[in-house]
Formats: sequence, structure tokens, C-alpha cells
Amino acid sequence: MIPTLTTDRLILRAPVMEDAAPLAAYLQGPRSATVGGPFPAGEAFDRLCALLGHWNLRGYGRWIVADRDSNAALGIVGPYFPMDWPEPEIAWTVFDAAEGRGIAHEAALAARDYARAELGWHHPMSAISPSNTRSAALARRLGCTPEGDFTHPVYGRLDIWRHPEQEVRHGTS
Amino acid sequence: MGHRDIPVLETERLVLRGPEPQDYPDFKATFASYRSRFMGGPLNAYETWMLYAAEIGHWEIRGYGMWMVHLKETGETVGMAGGWFPAKWPEREIAWIIWPDKAGKGYALEAAHRVRRYFYEVRGWETAVSYIDPKNLDSIRLAERLGCRKDADAPSIDGSDAVYRHPTLAQLQGQLGHGIAMEIAHYRDPLFKPKGWALD
Repeated sequence: MIPTLTTDRLILRAPVMEDAAPLAAYLQGPRSATVGGPFPAGEAFDRLCALLGHWNLRGYGRWIVADRDSNAALGIVGPYFPMDWPEPEIAWTVFDAAEGRGIAHEAALAARDYARAELGWHHPMSAISPSNTRSAALARRLGCTPEGDFTHPVYGRLDIWRHPEQEVRHGTS
Repeated sequence: MGHRDIPVLETERLVLRGPEPQDYPDFKATFASYRSRFMGGPLNAYETWMLYAAEIGHWEIRGYGMWMVHLKETGETVGMAGGWFPAKWPEREIAWIIWPDKAGKGYALEAAHRVRRYFYEVRGWETAVSYIDPKNLDSIRLAERLGCRKDADAPSIDGSDAVYRHPTLAQLQGQLGHGIAMEIAHYRDPLFKPKGWALD
């Protein structure tokens, strides 16, 4: 089962078919340039399927970040570890509507807490494209420090941002 | 997860189960190989893993998908077969892939025939197609052995593939279905040697 997390404004939940449209708008738009886009139509469906499959293969994965009131998808956040990745990461992506509202920050904090408490990830990394300055700024805000880079066959150079080690917070949120 | 609800299908020689994490190495080997050239491959490690994840997720999003085909006797995997309907597909497809070193034993025929019956009888499909690269002669031959006819009027995925229309459940009831069952039975005969070019 994919767990559901809630924060003040957000719900982190399993992907559903209804998320394909907002995901497609993001993937086909200019904001996906820092993650290899823009992508062709049809990519959103494959990604949605792969999000679910990741949970199955790894036992963890990324959630759809949705507005707590409307349930509308605002982004994708969570522990992420595809093949060919140097190590597991806490990944975040937010769609246009979520930009500039601290949505990614709020969701990444919840995801990081989950990864610490449930997966035992005490100081994971986040992989961020050097051109993605907003994402790098969020990494700093989350207390991350730069720690080298790696080159991925699909995404090119990605910077590694190391999360600070913190006490594991057990219990429910 | 919904994944656990994937039904197990059986044939004389095969067991079809949902794709599991431990089956991934076999899938990866095939998509890294020349065998995958008609299915968007060869793929790098990242692309292959994401495709495998998507194969699993397809079950949850669509409620059906591709089964992993195992040999009953040994449990080893020989390929995949099932229903496939990503966003760009004009209609639902019955798809198959057999690992390169498992081809020529009639496994794809046996598996595809079984999943087709499932979709018709259990899921109520009234029709299905297979989208095949015109250069993929083995797959075209298999579609023909499954009773498919090229459907020139049906839209293809992107113009570079041929659409093969599967026979309906009613069409499979008579001689056509018997012929397919007979060919599948032949493969169980240790002395049977398929004629002509390599068959899936």
C-alpha cells in the first residue's frame, strides 16, 4: 500500500489517472527543461505508470503532492531511486500552479521526515540539474550542502545536494 | 497495492503471473539486446528500469497489463504477454515479447492466445489489435498464426507500425480456434520441429 501523508496545506498520495492531465501540462511545458523536457504527449501516462511501479519495485517511491482541499495535483515529491542513480534521493518537482508558494518545501520536509522515520535515510541526497536554480535554492533552504556531481546518461550532469543529518523522528505526523 | 490482484493464468506449459521485482534481470537482458529493436530498444539501464516500473504501474492505472510468462516446469521466465494501452495507443493492444534465447518454442503463441481469451471472456473486450513494426516478420507471422488480419483502416500509433486485428471471440469458436489449439499442442511434442523461419 502506498501511504498517505498530510501537511498543513497538502496531501501526499498515490498517483491516479486523473493526475495525467496536470502532469502532461508540466512535462510538455517549458518548466520541465531542467529535467530533460519538454517531453512529447503520451509521456505523462508512462511516467504515471512508472511512479506506481517504483513503489512496487522498491517498496517506496514518490507521491503526487495534491492540494488538501481540492485534491488537485501540484507536483511529485518523495524518495526516488531509479536504476543508474548513484544512491537513493529525496526528489521534488512542482507544477506551474505550485510555484512560489512554498509547496515544494512543505512537501519535501514531509517526504524527508518519512524517509528518515520509515526508511532509515538519515542524510540522503537530492540530485539537481545545475540549471535548476530554484531547486538548488530549495535545497539550501532545506539545509542541504553541495557535494559534487554525477553524469547521467539521460539527464546529463546532476549536482548532489546532501541533506543534513538529523534525529529520527518516530511516530505519526 | 492493486498489483497483488493480478490474476494468475495457466496453460498447458505456462503460468502467467504479474511482473515481480525478481523478474527484472530477465527483462533487462532482453531490452538491452538487439531483440528489443522493434519495441523501442535497445534501452539503457535507466530507461529499461523505468519501462519495467511502467509495466507494473500499467496494471494499477488500467486494471490490466502485461503478465510475466513462466514455464510451469522450471518457473523460469520466457517473456511477457498481455494487454497494453498507453496514452498514445489508438486502442487496446494484445502485446508479447519473448526473451531471445526462448524463441521458437511456441511460448508467445500459447501465452498470447491465453491472454486474449481472458480479455474476451473475463474482461468483456470485443476486439483487440496488435501494433507491429512491418520489419518484425516473426511477430507478424505470430499475429497471423493467432488469426489476426492486417487492418489497413485502423489508425496506427504513429504511422510506422502496422495494425493487426485479432479475431473476435465468436470467430475463435470454430475451426480457427481449433487450428491454434492444435498448433500449440504440437509444441508439446518433443519430436515436433516448426517449419519455415524462426517462430516466436
